[in-house]
Amino acid sequence: MYINENSKVLVQGITGNQGSFHAKLMKAYGTKVVAGTSPGKGGQEIEGVPVFNTVAEAQAETGCDTSIVFVPAKFAYDAVTESIEAGIAMTCIITENIPVQDTVRLVEHARKQGVAIVGPNCPGILVPDRIKLGIMPGDICGPGDVALISKSGTLSYEVTKAVSDGGFGISSFLGIGGDPVRGTRMIDAIQYYMQDEDTKAIAIIGEIGGEDEERTADFIASNPAKPVVAYIAGRNAPEGKRMGHAGAIISGSSGTAAAKIAAFQEAGALVADTPWDVPVLLHKALDD
Amino acid sequence: MKLLEHESKQIFQEFGIPTLKGVLITTDDDIREKLEGISYPAIVKAQVPIGSRKKRGLIREAADADECLATCKDLLGLNYEGIVVGEVLVEELATIQKEYYVSIALDTFNRQFTLITSGEGGIDIEAVSQENPEAILKEAVPIDEGISEGLCKQVLAIEEGVAEGACNEITARMGIPDALRDATIDILRKLWDITVNVDAELVEINPLALADQGLIALDGKMILDDNAAYRRPIIQELAEKKNSDLEKIAAKEGFSFVKMDGDIGILANGAGLTLALVDVLADYGLNPANFLDVGGGASADRVTKALELIFSMKPHGVLINIFGGITRCDVVAEGVVQALATFGQTPPMAIRLSGTNEKEGAEILDQAGLHVFPAFHEAAEYLKNSIQQAEADA
Repeated sequence: MYINENSKVLVQGITGNQGSFHAKLMKAYGTKVVAGTSPGKGGQEIEGVPVFNTVAEAQAETGCDTSIVFVPAKFAYDAVTESIEAGIAMTCIITENIPVQDTVRLVEHARKQGVAIVGPNCPGILVPDRIKLGIMPGDICGPGDVALISKSGTLSYEVTKAVSDGGFGISSFLGIGGDPVRGTRMIDAIQYYMQDEDTKAIAIIGEIGGEDEERTADFIASNPAKPVVAYIAGRNAPEGKRMGHAGAIISGSSGTAAAKIAAFQEAGALVADTPWDVPVLLHKALDD
Repeated sequence: MKLLEHESKQIFQEFGIPTLKGVLITTDDDIREKLEGISYPAIVKAQVPIGSRKKRGLIREAADADECLATCKDLLGLNYEGIVVGEVLVEELATIQKEYYVSIALDTFNRQFTLITSGEGGIDIEAVSQENPEAILKEAVPIDEGISEGLCKQVLAIEEGVAEGACNEITARMGIPDALRDATIDILRKLWDITVNVDAELVEINPLALADQGLIALDGKMILDDNAAYRRPIIQELAEKKNSDLEKIAAKEGFSFVKMDGDIGILANGAGLTLALVDVLADYGLNPANFLDVGGGASADRVTKALELIFSMKPHGVLINIFGGITRCDVVAEGVVQALATFGQTPPMAIRLSGTNEKEGAEILDQAGLHVFPAFHEAAEYLKNSIQQAEADA
């Protein structure tokens, strides 16, 4: 979704620890990292990547069309606003702890500008052997036909590795992020992968909070084109507590794992009890 | 962060939304002194994050000063289903003609704020949404415009030139008398001011009451965005007041931490993974004492500090689960060994390592006499057995 091996990637916040470290790893994976930005630090080179002061300059010089953002939460709003205004087709926000009102504004502005956002607070996107736009370990899976959509980072690496060990390859791994408001929602992702020619089955890693899973299940129920396996974390989470992710919170009776599991089951998806059962159910779904 | 009634009302007052005259009384106060200047009858409200307080006896009326004093004493220190009442709000009772509902809430799925109104106040909005949705009016509030004339025109499809009338449409559904329309619109706009200026995810007045003195927020609820603490001093102040000592230590170290009811300490990396482990442990009949996400790329010292926090809760067992990506399993192992050296006597522990440098990590822990498992369920099983063994030995 959104990217391929020809995507020209801009790293916003490339001079920071995270930005430079992951710029190097993405390059090593084969991603075309063509530019970085860091206000006031234009003219440098980091990991062999030219650094610019602004997104507009980077775009004019390199033709970058995709951005990944490592800028700290306080400055992320301005950074993403720059990439939206420059018309960068897709901005993937890795940054955690961005105030949710900033995200609501950014999503609204991106919609008006006709560009896409993935995240915030997400691990990014991996299309095995083609492009890595994110912070996930690149060696946990190879290419194949299972698409993986996840709200979380490390948990999805566990599942991806398990799915990979179970004999599957991945068509695309999309981390949509753990914040309450997301640029690309679970339902947007599933609509894409239900159509995607490279994908035969879809695995969803959800968790407590919000209603993304329920709305996604509604979509699956009326568009059962491909088998879906879902895992939902947080069956034993207490009410009213933010469980790590800003979006992972049960409020009153809404956002519970039970409601999400029931919704997926009613929609005909297979629901895994543990992360390690996902490949078992994928076999069941695809072998039938 | 969920605010208590009096915390919400303090913000209402700062933004000019009327509330009843009242006084906040805490456990250490001289209650009689605090009640001076209050006229009766009054209402005494326990400040706890629980709904339907009146039904539960947590909101009581007092006819005079003596009854009020007795009620305050009665409620302060009361343990209601594990929540201890530490503060009561005493307010002068008003004569209420009618009650309404107004709130601005973040709709995470549609990624917008929503203005929610109803002609019925004091309602359980979740229940009414399900059972009687036509009693509630929901309108999107464009983030860059707020409660504007434009919003009114757009959502209510009103012709150019009668925008003010359109705004009145919202209140019309509430059945607000003509004389109070401007006051109501003023309150709606103040709700939006609050939403934007303190980074709220929910600002609710329920009920908004029509009393002799005009429109008044009788009860209020707010949820503030913890991520906005850096730019909102009020969020920092409230966090300082609300968080437990354990939570403060965790926050200082930058761990995602939640205290839970059980007795098994958990240390893991990644929020979703930690959440999943809580579930898997529960499936093994092991109840987590905490949720602790040590974060990505943890150093040995960080792991030691996290374990110190967990040991301080005196858990009956500890489970560590690391998926090594950026995080290196050998570094985590060093942190564990360091913590053991400091603490000496520790509860039964099981560790699962997977990913970057897992072999090196396992060797370090083996030498320290700790058991390392490649699969999570093996670690959980082992922990369960060793806790049973330890209990049998004791």
